[in-house]
Amino acid sequence: MSQEEVDILKRALARERASRKAAEEILEAKSAELFELNQKLEASHKELETLYSKTNSQLQGVFETIADAYVVADVNGDIIKMNEATLPLLGIQTINDSCNLMELVKPSEYDRVYKAFNKLYREGGNISDLRVNITTIDKRDIFVQINASVIYDKERPIATQGIVRDITLENKYQQALVAEKQKYSNIIANMNLGLVEVNNDDEILMVNHSFEKISGYTESELIGKKGGVVFQVDQENDIIKTENEKRQQGESNSYELKVKNKAGEIRYWLISGGPNYDLKGNVIGSIGIHLDITELKSLEFQKEKLLQRLEKSNDELQEYAHIVSHDLKSPLRSIDALVSWLKDDNKDKLDDTSLQNIDLIQTTLVKMEQLISDVLNYSSVSSDNSEIQSVDIQLLVEDLLKMLYIPEHIEVKCMRQLPVLCGDKTKLQQVFQNLIGNAVKFNDKDKGLIEIDVEDQKDYYKFSIKDNGIGIEPQFHEKIFKIFHSLNKSKDSTGIGLSLVKKIVNLHEGKIWLESAPNIGTTFFFTLKK
Amino acid sequence: MKTLNILLIEDDMIEVMKLSRATTSLQLNHNIIEANNGEEALALLEQKDQLPDIILLDLNMPKINGIEFLKILKADDRLKYIPTIILTTSNNQRDLLECYKIGIAGYVLKPLKYEDYVSKIEKLLGYWSVNELITA
Repeated sequence: MSQEEVDILKRALARERASRKAAEEILEAKSAELFELNQKLEASHKELETLYSKTNSQLQGVFETIADAYVVADVNGDIIKMNEATLPLLGIQTINDSCNLMELVKPSEYDRVYKAFNKLYREGGNISDLRVNITTIDKRDIFVQINASVIYDKERPIATQGIVRDITLENKYQQALVAEKQKYSNIIANMNLGLVEVNNDDEILMVNHSFEKISGYTESELIGKKGGVVFQVDQENDIIKTENEKRQQGESNSYELKVKNKAGEIRYWLISGGPNYDLKGNVIGSIGIHLDITELKSLEFQKEKLLQRLEKSNDELQEYAHIVSHDLKSPLRSIDALVSWLKDDNKDKLDDTSLQNIDLIQTTLVKMEQLISDVLNYSSVSSDNSEIQSVDIQLLVEDLLKMLYIPEHIEVKCMRQLPVLCGDKTKLQQVFQNLIGNAVKFNDKDKGLIEIDVEDQKDYYKFSIKDNGIGIEPQFHEKIFKIFHSLNKSKDSTGIGLSLVKKIVNLHEGKIWLESAPNIGTTFFFTLKK
Repeated sequence: MKTLNILLIEDDMIEVMKLSRATTSLQLNHNIIEANNGEEALALLEQKDQLPDIILLDLNMPKINGIEFLKILKADDRLKYIPTIILTTSNNQRDLLECYKIGIAGYVLKPLKYEDYVSKIEKLLGYWSVNELITA
């Protein structure tokens, strides 16, 4: 080998060495770089891992503590994973149990649910507010709301995760609410009462069908109008406005109102209303219920008028009776005066017969005056100015017996203590006076006996006045109570006594009747309310 | 016994005769002035220097009736002091109350019998003739 060749080889070797060294150096640098990079990578991986585990545990936490049921199910609907809240909802025993969600869906709902999830898998995105009727494992029928989304593995959908919420109750409430609302709307629509809703400015917001009928206006004619302007007759007297103002202060009220309807007729409404509140409790207007009481009102007016007229004619009758009795009595007085003067002035000139006749005239005058007084008494009995007080009948009868003329041969006995009752003392006295008086007057026996008795009958006292006098024939038992039906024309009987007694007894809500046998005696019975 | 000046306000002629005959037969020496109705009586009372000692007043009269007359009388500052006795047939409770409310010195019912009337008049006038009266 030549030197030249050797040199060449040497040089080549040297070059080779140099380049290898350079390559080695580069490699070394690269390797260092790589190591550094690796180091960095490792650090970031660790960081990521921590982050992941942190996030994961966070998620796990959320997943476990979430109040709603959280379920992950595969494409067939088999549960892969679920949280504690799922167990009671679906009736599953433990977290490790599984079941197929699609099997829980009610058969009637199956199609709808299947389609919804099918679409979700095909198109992605999520399902929200899917409401489904299901039957739980423990056989409860519940209504649930589902919100779900798809889980992908390398762009391939492998499962769905979702939150299931039991809305059975909520649904029931809602249904109940709807039903109630419907019920009330039906009532409002069909009731016979007119209903009007107004705002705080008295502008009509709503009326029901009945109100349209009552008022004659249609709803569209009324909306936005003021009730006070449309209906009120008397514009000066702003009842509607003042009453609505009261309602705005939260006051419920009812009042009567004179209005005119669309046809211009005057009607009377009874309005009962209350404030209307919004959800926050602010008064936003009022609701009024209207009842047409025109018929009732006109009856009331009629009644009032009749009563007034009756009162007036009663008064007039009273007045009339007094005037007539006065006017009738005055001439009697004059006749009596004139006759007594005739008698006095001509004592010596008149014979006995004439003097007797003059006496007869005067007796007749007395009887005539008595008759007039009795008529007046009779007409006054029904008057209202009687004074109701507690009356001791025993005392009343005792006083009466002192006052009445009772002949020696007649004995009047009270069989027992007479009660105290409520009534008009003067009138009750008239009753006893007439009955005892009659018993005395019509007694033809040598030894007359009059017995006054009483019997307690729950709400009434039954009094009896028994005599052993002339008696009354059965055919007259009714007749004697009629005015001017005196059976015996005697000088001190006007035929008004018993009719007066009957009237007074009736006024005290009692009855009067009699039992009698001719020549043996008569018993008058009458009841007086306690 | 004092001699009374009596104003009798009465529209019935026979009633007037009754009073004068009664006073005569009782031998009373009173002066009776007659007025047949309220207007006439008011005209008489215009003469303030000859006012009566007492007034006997009937209630039922035409035109101004007794109660109306009484009201006019009691509204007058001077005349209201004259004792006024109602002499009437009306025992109407309403009239009685009304009269006492306005102010009267008595309320006497005219009885049917003339002899009873004489007896009542005797007592009435006897009572007033022993009374001290306001003199004009």
